[in-house]
Amino acid sequence: MSSAAMELVNLKKTIGKKEIIKGLSFSIPKGEVFGFIGPNGAGKTTTIRMMVGLMSITEGDVIIQGNSIKSNFKDAVREVGAIVENPEMYPFLTGWQNLKHYARMMPGVTKERMHEIVKFIGLEKAINEKVGRYSLGMRQRLGIAQALLHNPSVLILDEPTNGLDPAGIREIRDHIRKLAKEENVAIIISSHLLSEIEQMCDRIGVIKNGEIIKIQDVGEETDKEEVIHHIEVTPMDKAMKILNETFQLESVELDGNLSFRCKKEQVPEIIKRLVENECQIYQVNVAKGTLEDQFFELIGENTIE
Amino acid sequence: MNRILKLIQNEQGKIFIRKSTWIMYIILAVLIFGNALLTNSFDGLKKDYEGDDWRQVLEEENKELQKESEEFEDFEDYNNSLIAKNNYYLENDIQPAPYTAWTFVQENISLLSIVSLLTIIIAAGIVANEFRWGTIKLLLIRPISRSGILLSKYITVLLFAFYTALFALVLMWIFGAIFFGIGDLNPSIVVQGEDGFKTVSLVANVFTSFGFKLVNLVMMATFAFMISAVFRNSSLAIGIAIFLMMGANSIVAFFADKEWAKYILFAHTDLSQYMDGNFLMLEDNTMGFSIAVLVVYYAIFMLLSWIVFTKRDVAGQ
Repeated sequence: MSSAAMELVNLKKTIGKKEIIKGLSFSIPKGEVFGFIGPNGAGKTTTIRMMVGLMSITEGDVIIQGNSIKSNFKDAVREVGAIVENPEMYPFLTGWQNLKHYARMMPGVTKERMHEIVKFIGLEKAINEKVGRYSLGMRQRLGIAQALLHNPSVLILDEPTNGLDPAGIREIRDHIRKLAKEENVAIIISSHLLSEIEQMCDRIGVIKNGEIIKIQDVGEETDKEEVIHHIEVTPMDKAMKILNETFQLESVELDGNLSFRCKKEQVPEIIKRLVENECQIYQVNVAKGTLEDQFFELIGENTIE
Repeated sequence: MNRILKLIQNEQGKIFIRKSTWIMYIILAVLIFGNALLTNSFDGLKKDYEGDDWRQVLEEENKELQKESEEFEDFEDYNNSLIAKNNYYLENDIQPAPYTAWTFVQENISLLSIVSLLTIIIAAGIVANEFRWGTIKLLLIRPISRSGILLSKYITVLLFAFYTALFALVLMWIFGAIFFGIGDLNPSIVVQGEDGFKTVSLVANVFTSFGFKLVNLVMMATFAFMISAVFRNSSLAIGIAIFLMMGANSIVAFFADKEWAKYILFAHTDLSQYMDGNFLMLEDNTMGFSIAVLVVYYAIFMLLSWIVFTKRDVAGQ
């Protein structure tokens, strides 16, 4: 409890008669990067809006550093920096003026801190330009800068990779990892694209139709789960037969490889058996994007109930 | 307290960094200048009272007015009141004050409705624009209550109304001084009171009108602010507020024979109707009743703004 920077307690939101968020409970410890994944309309943004007090909470609570966002809004929100949906800034102000505007709203943000953040986020060159002329990527950076001004213990980023090129995404990823490791900030990143944030996250929560349907560590060994393996092997017919007869595994030929689903723990036994039967094995690969596959399996069709 | 001051600083900054605000000020200045120029070229007559023959001038003016009334019957009422006024000068042997900066301000005090217009535009945008820009989300996730944010915005609107009105007043006086001279420090003018004409201080008259205009200004600004906070749409707020401001007199006149007409806000926003020489919007109006109506409307506007702004969810566009 004491190490949790943010805790959701049976969080519910009902609009009219429709339950949009159906009782979310999870907590995020300091220094963790938590990926909040779900298809569009699953309730990510609604949840985030409740986390920062933009929307009222129907039932349950959000506790930030021990303060309830419902009953102790000011103390709770002081610990939060956020971008909600797009990083919208005043287009007629420069980047610096925008930061100054938000700095005035929070206690203890010095000019030095502002310079530090601008440097950290790599916006020094453009900071005196009007935000109206910024690219989406630059606005995304400025959004992160305003969220970090007051040294929050929780950083919430809604779709932070939107509009960024691959280099930009890598840079943001490095920033996020650094913030989590060095500043011990708890970071929540939402996205509908798992692949973009998979590498930044320690843990991923999948939300669908207002419910968390799975929370999983990214580095977690998936011994018990079937994943796709590709084996480059000759002769292929023989290997296929062995897989089928000995292990009851369906396999297909794919790009000169033999592809099949199996549990990780089965792999040594399969290789052993193939070698014993004089099959030549050149390489064995575990299919990349395994999380992505699971993700699609979990959420199924991109439907909104 | 310090926090609120910083919020107000933010809001003022956002108003004055935009070019549209400065354009509004320029338009205001040009309008005042134009009025001074027109007055100067058409109303040259007014300086004629300055000589020793002012009595003769007044009598000639009366004759001309009489002749005009015979030609155009529509002018009769108005001309008769002017003649009566001239006769009051003659009977009481008062030399009419020359046309000066103060006279110009007094005659053009209604230009302050341009200030109302500008204030409505600012008040209508101050909450709604944050929703339009999407910046409201970043504004409300600070350790400041929503009331605090709204209060800073409301104070900003009032401040804007006040110094823009003051700017207009000072500018009117300056242009008036350039075109018509400064004249006496405290000239007197003759106005129609409840029982006949009487002499009052021109400067006091100007500032009383100004004060009453401020009341009107605050009411319209608060109304536009309420629409802005409740509907989060600046065009709607500007449209409704300006329509009502322009149509105020017609609305009151249209419903004047109805029992409930006296509860219409616009029958009371112009408190200068209680000044000497002006007409009442409704026959039964009294100052006390008008103030009571204004206070009730004001309370409703404020309450609605506050409740809706602090309670409602900030959802997507």
